[in-house]
Amino acid sequence: MSAVATPAPSPALPQRRAPGRARLRRVLRSTPVNVVLVVVAVLWLTPTVGLLVTSFRPGQDYLSSGWWQALVHPATLNLDNYRHILSGGNIVDALVTTVLITVPATLLVVLVASLAGYGLVFLRWPGRDWVFLVLVALMVVPLQMGLIPVSLLYKHLGLFGTIPGVVLYHTAFGLPFAIFLMRNFYTGIPRDLLEAARIDGASEWTMFRRIVLPLGMPALASLAIFQFLWVWNDLLVSLVFLASAPHQPLTVTIFSQLRQFGLNIDVISTASFISMIIPLIVFFAFQRYFVRGVLAGAVK
Amino acid sequence: MSTIKQSGTTPFAMCGGSGWTLTDWFENIYLRTAGIDKYNALAKHSIPWTDPSVTAAFQDMQKIFDPANMVGGSAGAVSTPFPDCVGQAFGSSSKAAMLYEGDFVASVIPTVNSAMQPATGFDFFPFPSINNSPPSVSGGGDVAVMLKDTPQARALIKYLASPDAGRIWAHLGGFTSPNKNVPLSVYPDDISRRAAQQLVNAGDNVVFDMSDQAPAAFGGTSGSGEWADLQDWVRNTSDINGIEAKLEADAKTAYGH
Amino acid sequence: MATVPAVAEPAARPAPVSITGRGPGGGGWRRGLAVGAFMGPALLFLGAIVGYPTVATIIASFFNKTTTTFVGLDNYRTVFGTSDILVAVRNNAIWVIVFPFLVTFTGLVFAVLTERIRWATAFKAVVFMPMAISLFATGVIWRIVYETDPHRGVINSMVGTVADAINPPGSYALPNIKPISGLSQRSDGSMVSTATVHPDGTVKLGLTGISPTDIPPGATSASEPATVQGGVAGVVWRDFSPGGHVGVVDSGEKGLPAMRIDLLRGDGSTAATTASGADGRFVFRDVGSGSYRVAVAASNFRAPFGGVAWLGAQSLTPADRLGGTARTLLTVPLVDIAAIVAMLWMWGGFAMVVIGAGLAALNREVLEAAKIDGASEWQTFRHVTFPLLLPVLIVVFVTMIINVLKIFDIILSLVPESSQREANVIAVQMWNSAFTASDYGVGSALATFLFVLVVPVIVVNVRRIRG
Repeated sequence: MSAVATPAPSPALPQRRAPGRARLRRVLRSTPVNVVLVVVAVLWLTPTVGLLVTSFRPGQDYLSSGWWQALVHPATLNLDNYRHILSGGNIVDALVTTVLITVPATLLVVLVASLAGYGLVFLRWPGRDWVFLVLVALMVVPLQMGLIPVSLLYKHLGLFGTIPGVVLYHTAFGLPFAIFLMRNFYTGIPRDLLEAARIDGASEWTMFRRIVLPLGMPALASLAIFQFLWVWNDLLVSLVFLASAPHQPLTVTIFSQLRQFGLNIDVISTASFISMIIPLIVFFAFQRYFVRGVLAGAVK
Repeated sequence: MSTIKQSGTTPFAMCGGSGWTLTDWFENIYLRTAGIDKYNALAKHSIPWTDPSVTAAFQDMQKIFDPANMVGGSAGAVSTPFPDCVGQAFGSSSKAAMLYEGDFVASVIPTVNSAMQPATGFDFFPFPSINNSPPSVSGGGDVAVMLKDTPQARALIKYLASPDAGRIWAHLGGFTSPNKNVPLSVYPDDISRRAAQQLVNAGDNVVFDMSDQAPAAFGGTSGSGEWADLQDWVRNTSDINGIEAKLEADAKTAYGH
Repeated sequence: MATVPAVAEPAARPAPVSITGRGPGGGGWRRGLAVGAFMGPALLFLGAIVGYPTVATIIASFFNKTTTTFVGLDNYRTVFGTSDILVAVRNNAIWVIVFPFLVTFTGLVFAVLTERIRWATAFKAVVFMPMAISLFATGVIWRIVYETDPHRGVINSMVGTVADAINPPGSYALPNIKPISGLSQRSDGSMVSTATVHPDGTVKLGLTGISPTDIPPGATSASEPATVQGGVAGVVWRDFSPGGHVGVVDSGEKGLPAMRIDLLRGDGSTAATTASGADGRFVFRDVGSGSYRVAVAASNFRAPFGGVAWLGAQSLTPADRLGGTARTLLTVPLVDIAAIVAMLWMWGGFAMVVIGAGLAALNREVLEAAKIDGASEWQTFRHVTFPLLLPVLIVVFVTMIINVLKIFDIILSLVPESSQREANVIAVQMWNSAFTASDYGVGSALATFLFVLVVPVIVVNVRRIRG
């Protein structure tokens, strides 16, 4: 039975070198990495910064000059676009609706996918691998393909135009990838852990809850974030199912503010930033689950 | 146009990045060169796009779509969508003298340049006659749509079409009443008044936008059908036969005949 | 000396049956119950909302537009017959070949490198942020970045700064500038006087196509050139005024200063160069005898950098020389690459996070053992880390392949209308057929085709994991 020990401390450098020089060598080794990553970070940020600056400019300026010009002439920047969006359309209601759609859709996917992942890895039953194949093959079905058949189905079930309907749709379409991810992560969990528990008399549910679920946290966290973001930013599904509903998510509300023939850059840029804040908070909150050390825990 | 060019301004800002603007160009030229009967026939696709009347219209169109007449040349014309082109003509750093599109442009102009006011900053003239064609208007859009045929709905539509409703509606701006009996004085500004006048003057020569009448796959889809074909043509206006063949092929697929 | 312990490959090896005779899940009906409980919810969701439309779609592909009449393989014939679908397949192929590798590689590099820096969280946040932005906004953002006009687009602005430094634009780089009197246009961009001139002679060079705002400040009214003994004098001016005459320097017509003027000998070589003054007049003093022409140099009109059309359909491969199908299949439109870069920006964070999670879950002991053994960083990575990460890398890779096969939103939001045809992909074609052209038969056939394309990918992957 192999022991899963806590991470060993990194090997200390031989004592004969002066500590100052050791630090210098470490800095030198890591400097190129730091430089490269800084450059990458700047490049990665630039497009978003462009949009941010654009959201503070009058729409018509977008047509005549690049956004960096506004940085040189800060007097042209103002909050008009934000004022306009926050006053037109009921943003607070839209935010609440978006949360009501996104949170359940995320939780459901996480739960159902981890259950199914467990079933596909730690239970043996005939046809298991074929079912996995089919489930994952469903990843390729584009979201838009299901819209019409499911709309009809929902009409029969009375789910059309309701928030639960949208939640179920997003959950279903998020499952193939989610199951794929969880199943692959679970195959990396050492069997011995479960064997030991089984010998001790644990039930499947206990093993799932106590061993597999915690160990799969990094993967679950990643999954939760992606599903959250995907559902938060969805426009198409909400537009189809909730077009006439009394409460609409943020994306649909913003969409209804677009002018048919006019410039829309002022609406889009501003709305994107208003919409981005909460997902970013979510990301930061889940971030710490990626930290190493999750596998720390000993088995006798 | 040559005078405008000599004065140092490019004549047209073209919105070719949005294919539907090109269809409007074609339709207005075609209406004035081929006449209203052929226009309606082409809209139903009872005459093919290879008809000589179509070729004649394209030849006229070719003169306008000369690269020297458009901001950015052919490449610029095809890559500038609506409403960016409005900015090119009426924006603060204006690059062109004229822009052709529907009367809704008047409401777009203030959004691309808050300093531009009607009559002082910009003005319009009706699409000119070609070889003495009668005043004609091509328009598109829904004034009112009845989804359920009930007596109440009919009564409402009747009212909306009447001069009384037209008077109220037109006065609010952004709407041109199709009813001849709405007095022109109710329109809020000179530009909308003259647009309404133009509609009235055209009398029976008012037709519905051809591309809007066509099946969506041909006349209404970004990146395919008439929209994409015309964009391809603007890139190389010399190939009229080629474009007619393409249009005909796409129309056949879309209309089914 | 510790040896690197053999690492259990994360394969689905069945656990040994324990003494009690109970296999995983317990015996008989209890196992069935367990399977039901674990798999049930997923199967229910997927069956109702994803499975049923898929089956309905596959069936519909054999029916007509309105799914009322059976038409057999007609729809498939249409699908494979139109050239638009050929373009779509080619574009999907380009995406599949380029994108998954690019993204997985980028994610791996970022995941590994961020372990070494202290500000990993900040970096991850920056790279991940694009995922928080809706696809619609991403299209808008990248349109701004790729804007052709160097005054509006970031990339072209930067390229333009360099290009204009190398090839400085002239002061009169106007689209409509043309000679109108006394000059004729040459193919090299210069304008040469129509008449020859001898010492003591004058020339008048009139240009149009210049708007008043384009004339440099400080220009004054032009006037007729005065003859200079032994030299050649002339004026270059804007020959345009209401009610004026061509070829005559009318009052109010402005001179064109700072124009580079060359004096050409009969054989075309340049005898002298000068610049016009504020009133457009210029003088060449003490020219030798002979007949000359005066030229307005092409450098005056050299256009500034016009901007690369990143979102245009220009092909990266020289496929223009081919015709027909070969040409369609071998063209690589620039807009595809531009869209791939935009998607990389969006999904790089995803790859980094997932692979990072995989890295975090690795057994550190194994890595330490390798280090103690004397393995260098690269060796450790190549022989220990990478193989252990492989399942995660495959997850990312396969997910990207599938995402790319059904790529849809970015094509509609980023690609401008004029390039839509060249950038067409299967999912967009399907959308157009099913929802715009209302031909559900053909749309369903396209969807089924997409489905069939991805099945081999999944099969290969499953086999691989099974070991």
